[in-house]
Amino acid sequence: MHKGRVLFCVFLIAAAACAVWAAFGWTFKAKLFPLTVSIPLMVLAAIQLVAEIFGKADTGDRQAMDIEFASDVAPELARRRAIGAFLWVGGFILLVYLLGFPWAVPIFIFSYLHLQSRIGLPVSAALTAATWLFFYGLFQRLLHLPFEDGLIQTLLGV
Amino acid sequence: MFDALIDGLWLVLQWKAFSLMMVGMALGFAVGLLPGIGGAATLALMLPFIFKMAPAEAFAFLLGMHAVAATTGDITSVLFGVPGEAISAAAVVDGYPMTKRGEAGRALGAALMSSLLGALIGAGALALAIPIVRPLVLTFGSPELFMLAIIGISCITSLSGAGARGQIKGFAMGLLGLLLSTIGQERQSGSLRFDMGMMYLWDGLDFVPVLVGIFAIPEIVDLAIRGTAIAGERQPENLKAGVMEGVKDTFRHFWLVFRCSIIGVFVGILPGAGGGVAQWMAYAHSVQSAKNAKEREGFGKGDVRGVLGPGAANNSKEGGELIPTIAFGVPGSGAMAILLGGFLIMGIIPGPDMLTKHLAITFSMVWTLVIANVITVVLCLLVLDQLAKVTYVRGGLIIPFVLLLVFVGSYTANGQIADLIVTFTFGLLSYFMVLYGWPRPPFVLGFVLGKVIETYLFISVSRYGFNWLRHPVVIILIVLMAIIIAYPYIQQRRDRLRSSANA
Repeated sequence: MHKGRVLFCVFLIAAAACAVWAAFGWTFKAKLFPLTVSIPLMVLAAIQLVAEIFGKADTGDRQAMDIEFASDVAPELARRRAIGAFLWVGGFILLVYLLGFPWAVPIFIFSYLHLQSRIGLPVSAALTAATWLFFYGLFQRLLHLPFEDGLIQTLLGV
Repeated sequence: MFDALIDGLWLVLQWKAFSLMMVGMALGFAVGLLPGIGGAATLALMLPFIFKMAPAEAFAFLLGMHAVAATTGDITSVLFGVPGEAISAAAVVDGYPMTKRGEAGRALGAALMSSLLGALIGAGALALAIPIVRPLVLTFGSPELFMLAIIGISCITSLSGAGARGQIKGFAMGLLGLLLSTIGQERQSGSLRFDMGMMYLWDGLDFVPVLVGIFAIPEIVDLAIRGTAIAGERQPENLKAGVMEGVKDTFRHFWLVFRCSIIGVFVGILPGAGGGVAQWMAYAHSVQSAKNAKEREGFGKGDVRGVLGPGAANNSKEGGELIPTIAFGVPGSGAMAILLGGFLIMGIIPGPDMLTKHLAITFSMVWTLVIANVITVVLCLLVLDQLAKVTYVRGGLIIPFVLLLVFVGSYTANGQIADLIVTFTFGLLSYFMVLYGWPRPPFVLGFVLGKVIETYLFISVSRYGFNWLRHPVVIILIVLMAIIIAYPYIQQRRDRLRSSANA
């Protein structure tokens, strides 16, 4: 039994169950389609859960037609690096929320290059400057994408 | 008719129309490379600039831009696993594994050449189909369109891996996609569903942040885990040879490319389906047309046929989408709806006039599709060397830059921080899907088709009760669906019988 696979099945069952529960309170028109899809989803996820728990998952047919993650990295190291990558992604979103894109972009790029990728200070600074110029030139000057201010600017009124 | 064909070509080759087409193509090239910034959005942005143009110039500008975005969108899908356009997502599934294997040149050569053939077939279909397509489209009401969408979902089975377990996971993911497509205001009754009290969810989940999260984030995380370049530790491939191999692959599998192009045209003709569906149906067809389970195993791991099918379909659908737009004023997609706005700005009413009075303009659109795609593919083939070299740059240098493009692209959907959170959430979900072997393509197909299916089902039931199930075309489509679902089992059984006979 693989704990992660079981938990993923449980997550799907829980998501479908929540959908069914929420849909019961709606009008017929509104609930027809969500119920039609969430009930079979719950059933299929439950079948998969049973198969995972009773050890029938390793039949060789579970290979999805999709990409596969690197298998040549030790699992513990892979897990640590994956968590690290998600923390960087989450950190970037937090930076955008706090400072807005125009400030978050150079800070994130420089931090990632220098701290995570261990690139030297001058090269990191040069790449950051180039990326910021690309961002500013293309998205702000040329395409005029409206980037909101961050929370800090809003609070400070600047 | 022949005179109009030549007049149409002449209209496009006028210096002003040709220059405007080149400007449009340059814009489309850039937009196609940038994840999230869709061709439709750019069409809308460019609409105000056509007021002073002649009709043929305006359509050369707009169509040149739109046609190219679909082609260049495949480039980032193949090189970085990040779809440049929503309609280029299917190219990730096999194109990116090819890049990781050091075959970026071959994958790009195949993607570009199949795109070109697809575009030419789509343009040919547009030229030929207008007189004959009218009765076909008029036979398709909501029940038939609903069943066609359901067939799209049943194609999931072939995208989900071999065996019953693969089908369970595939259907479950398709259903999850359908379920998530119901988030937001229900169109018929106006009821809010799964909005969790957030106004952001009232309009439902936007396709761009979801798609970018589903495809880009796991690839970025995988790159971080490996700690190498996208192409790994391999020595740079001989790109010219690789590109030529990809081009040859296109002709080696010419009939597959042809069939997928026809799928693209057909899906393009149907209102509401669009390129998001065409590419996945073509991918499913590529998988299903594999002769046996062993041949099918390579899909998802870098089979060139998985690049050829979607590449052809998402370009041929441009020609298909134009058919109902021109002939009946019924746009086949969001982009075509915007183009319809262009028609009205030009004072042209789509319909019978386009086949009589304005036939030369109609043919100028066919020529624009042809010329724009030929020029783009030739230019792309010339700069592929430089593009593919990026896959040999250390991952640590590429990741922050790709993340920037991913999140700016996702932010363009609604201009809200919530778009970034949606991307992150779906990236996390997608990571676990890949980790635990749940296929992502059925999820995306379900999510894309969800709103269409629900709308057609509602109209069918309201108008015909359950009698819609007795429509002849519906019955044919139900049988077709049953064959599609049963086909992998029949194929498996046939292989088993054959191997036991050989033993």
